[in-house]
Parts: sequence; structure tokens; C-alpha cells
Amino acid sequence: MNWRSIFAIVRRDLTVVARAKAVMIPLVVVPVILFVGLPLLVSFAIDAAGSDIEDLLPLIEALPERIRASLGDGSLLEQAQVYLLEYQFATFFLIVPLMVCSVIAADSFAGEKERKTLEALLYTPTTDRELYLAKLLGPWLAAITVTVASYGLYLVVCNVALAATIGRPVALTPLWVVVVLWLSPGMAALGLSVLVIVSARVRGFQEAYQVGGVLVLPIVALVAAQFAGLLFVDTAFAILLGSLTWAVAVAVMAVGFGRFRRERLLEQV
Amino acid sequence: MPVAEPALVVRGVTRRFGEVTALDRVDFQVEYGQVIGLLGHNGAGKTTTIRLLNGLLAPDEGEVRTMGLDPVADGAEVRRHTGVLTETPSLDDRMSGLEAMRFWAAMWGVPKDAVDRRVMELLERFRLTDRARDRIGGYSRGMRQRLALARTLLHDPPLLFLDEPTAALDPVAARGVRDMVRTLAAEDRRTVLICTHNLAEAQDLCDRVVILRRGRVLADGTTAELVGAASVPVALILEVEGEQVSEARRITETFGEVKRVDGGRIDLDGVTRERLPDLVAALVEAGVGIYRVAPEEPSLESAYLALYGEETEG
Repeated sequence: MNWRSIFAIVRRDLTVVARAKAVMIPLVVVPVILFVGLPLLVSFAIDAAGSDIEDLLPLIEALPERIRASLGDGSLLEQAQVYLLEYQFATFFLIVPLMVCSVIAADSFAGEKERKTLEALLYTPTTDRELYLAKLLGPWLAAITVTVASYGLYLVVCNVALAATIGRPVALTPLWVVVVLWLSPGMAALGLSVLVIVSARVRGFQEAYQVGGVLVLPIVALVAAQFAGLLFVDTAFAILLGSLTWAVAVAVMAVGFGRFRRERLLEQV
Repeated sequence: MPVAEPALVVRGVTRRFGEVTALDRVDFQVEYGQVIGLLGHNGAGKTTTIRLLNGLLAPDEGEVRTMGLDPVADGAEVRRHTGVLTETPSLDDRMSGLEAMRFWAAMWGVPKDAVDRRVMELLERFRLTDRARDRIGGYSRGMRQRLALARTLLHDPPLLFLDEPTAALDPVAARGVRDMVRTLAAEDRRTVLICTHNLAEAQDLCDRVVILRRGRVLADGTTAELVGAASVPVALILEVEGEQVSEARRITETFGEVKRVDGGRIDLDGVTRERLPDLVAALVEAGVGIYRVAPEEPSLESAYLALYGEETEG
């Protein structure tokens, strides 16, 4: 395995991504909206609700006992805020790695075909396996970086900006460690393995990006299911979901690698 | 790497894409140090041939050898020794020329401590040093083509494939690229395969040409051999004794089309090279005093058009 070539492709792909406004804007704007704007909005909305906070009582009462116990013995207002910021946002958080890897993979693969820069790459001594790995590794590393940065941002918002409102540490739990370091990387790997297969079949960035958008839908369903009380994502569930995600990601990668041939890529150059 | 075999061998190669046969039992070979032109209309199979020779595609039938290696089995090793100028320069507008060259140097395994020296040497050679730190998006077409050509030389490959090296360039830039190709072939002793629609360029640069038509080899040889094979009519200037010009005209009209008569000079068109001796013999036999017989040197273009039958393809 020629790691120098692999990291050269990774560095090149990330450099050109960083110089494309159309690609960078969602990478910056989406995490800021989700993990700065939204928590502030949620917290202020609950504060503003005042006496109407009883409306949230059924949601809190429906929680399993182990989750309710973890919310502390504060007021209902505090428990509602902690629940939303601690648990609901943990599943919401999974949108970030999927969004990042779909944007970058779309640019580094389908976008490369669109810009007609792929053919020269195919004429290098890089093997199909190295090319495949490089195309996975670049967006995956970027997804992990943005995920960790988003988590840092979220910690600051919850534990500094909202410290006075909530009155206890938030998102500093085993659940968040599992989400950030196990489940999110798995989600990014799964999203990427699907996108690389898809990107090899489409002609341009926009087409690949739209397909990438579809990948977020299961996460939206997960968020909705949790909000509706159909399931509760705790640490054990996150570990299980992460394991499943990694298993499927590895399987899809194996399929993708089997299909990843220069010859197939050339058909659309 | 085996060197006993020719640099390139294409033997009975057929390659299909679905229902379309891009190459149909193609045979040719190229010796080391030769500059060969691969000619043909659009869709004749030129780019497919380059892709097969570099292991990007596999033949459906037949055998391909590049520098003694099988590109299908040893594609990475083959590509380590070849440099390919693709039809479009294949450069990322968001990178600078310098960044792009460093990237490609890593891709071809140029030793790390030699990268900057090699990159700067090539940027200098291709007159890009002043703009090396600018984004490629701001380069002219000529600059892009020169950068793409510089890229093909980063790893000092003995074998070059140049697909339309002067397409879309202005005449000055095109001449610059031709000069560079000439130098690469003559001074650096590289084997070069050029795909081009510019027949004057092919005649100027190539030792030999292979003409493809609809995936088949239509002709293979030097310009002179192709002109001979195609029985290409040539233009001719004939100078005879002024008083005998009418008799000379009567005789020459049976060999070709008289375009102009001026004093003792007759400009004639459409005489095949094979019939020239007969024309001269007929004039001598008629007692016409001949001062000059000047056939125009037949061009590759005339041979190409004669061989192709001036048909057009999509």
C-alpha cells in the first residue's frame, strides 16, 4: 500500500474542498445552526414558556426511569432542558458527520469527474485499492474533524453560554463520548461507503450531493422517533447502533471495493 | 523491465463498449525511440488505444504489451514508466501550478528530497515559474497545456502518450508545444505516441503514423509510404520550350488537369506519383524540350484524405 500517494490524494482533495465556497458554506453554517443557534433557541423557548412548561410533562413522564434519574432533581423546566440538550441533541448530532462526508465525497469524487480532473489521476501508478481508500479517507477525516469541532462548540454553548440557565454540566457523559467517538465515525463511514458507490455512477457534484441528502433521512427518523417517545437513545443503545453501523459500513465498503475499477470510472469521464 | 520487445505492441486487439466496437483486430508496434502518430477521425479509437496501453482498459480480444509488460496485469508498473497528456489538461483550477506539480510528483513517487528541485526545473523549462503560485483557474489555455505537459515529465518517463497536444492552442503556443515534443523525442530519446487531428503536425513530428478508421488500422507507415500506398495525386510545375507549350499542354492534359499556362510554364494538378515517369517520357518522345519538372512534395494530409476517401464521421 503506497501511503504517500494515499495521503497526497487526501491532502489534495481537502485543499480543493477548502477553496470551494459552495462546499465550505454548508460545512460551517450547518454545525453553527444546529449546535449554537438551535440549543440557544430551545433553551430560551423553554424559559419563555414559563408556566406553560407543564405541556412538556407527558414527554418527561414517558421517559424510562434510568433516563429520568439522569436528568437530576431540578425543576421540571431544568429537567426538560437537560433532556433535550443531553439526549435529543445526541441523535441530532449524527447529522453532522453524514452531512460533512456527503458534501466532501460529492466534491472529491463526482466533482472531480465534473471538473475533468479524474482521468489524469487514473493514469498514475496508484492502484484501484489505494484510490478507493484515499477517496474514503479524505471525507472521513474531514467528517471526524468537523464532528469533534462541533462537539466542542456545543460544549461551550451548553456549559458556558447556558450555564446559568441549566445549572449543571451538559453533554459531558458517556453517551456523548460514544456518539462522538464511536457512532459518528461509524455513520460517516457508512455514508461514505454508500456515496462512493453512488458517486461513481453520477456525473456531477450536485447529483451526488442530492443523493447524500437522502442519507440524512434515517437520522431525521431517529430524532423524530425519540421525540415521539418510540425509542430512547442512551449509552447502551448508542454502542449497539454504532456497532451495527460499523458492521454495515464495512460490508458496504467491501461491496464498493469489489466494484471500484478504473474501467468503470472511465466510462463516465 | 524487459527491453527486448518493442516499446509498444498491439496485436489483434478488439475492444467493445456494449454494442459499439471501438477497436477491431488492431495490430501495430512501436520501437524504442520512435515518434509515432495515431491518426483518425473522432471516435476512430485513438484514446481507447492509449487507455489500453496504460492498463486503464482491458482488451476483449488480443494482446497489448507496453515496454514488455502486460498493462492489464501490471498496470501500476506500466504507468510508473509512462507519461500521459490527456486530451483535456485534467488540472484542478483551485490549485496553484506549484501545488499541482508537488501533488503529481508524490503520485508518481518522485523521491521527497528531489520533489522541489524537479518541480522547479520543469516549471522553468515550460516557462511557468513566474505564475507557479497562481491558481490554475487564472491560466491561459497555453499555460494549462504546458503545465499538463510538464506534469507528464515529472517522473522522467521513457514513454510518452500525447493526446491532442496542441488542440485549442493559438499558433504560437502550438509551435512552442511542438518544439518541446521535438526536443523530448530527439534530445531525451523518449518514445512518443501522439494522437492528433493536425496532419501537418503529425508529418512534422512523427517518424511513422498509424491511421485508424472505425477501430481498424487503415494504414501504417511513414508519410512517403502512405503517399505511395494511397497513390496520392500531386501538383506539378512543368517548364518547357516556349514554342512547344501547345504540344506539351496537349500531352499533359492526358495525365492531369492543367491549371495554368504562362509562357513556357504549365501548372498541372492531379498527376499520380507513379505516372510522372510516363509523363516525362511522353514529352521527350514528342520532342518537347523540358527545362524543369517540379512535383510538389505530397503531404500526409493528402495521403490521409485519399486513404479515408474524404468521408466524414460523427
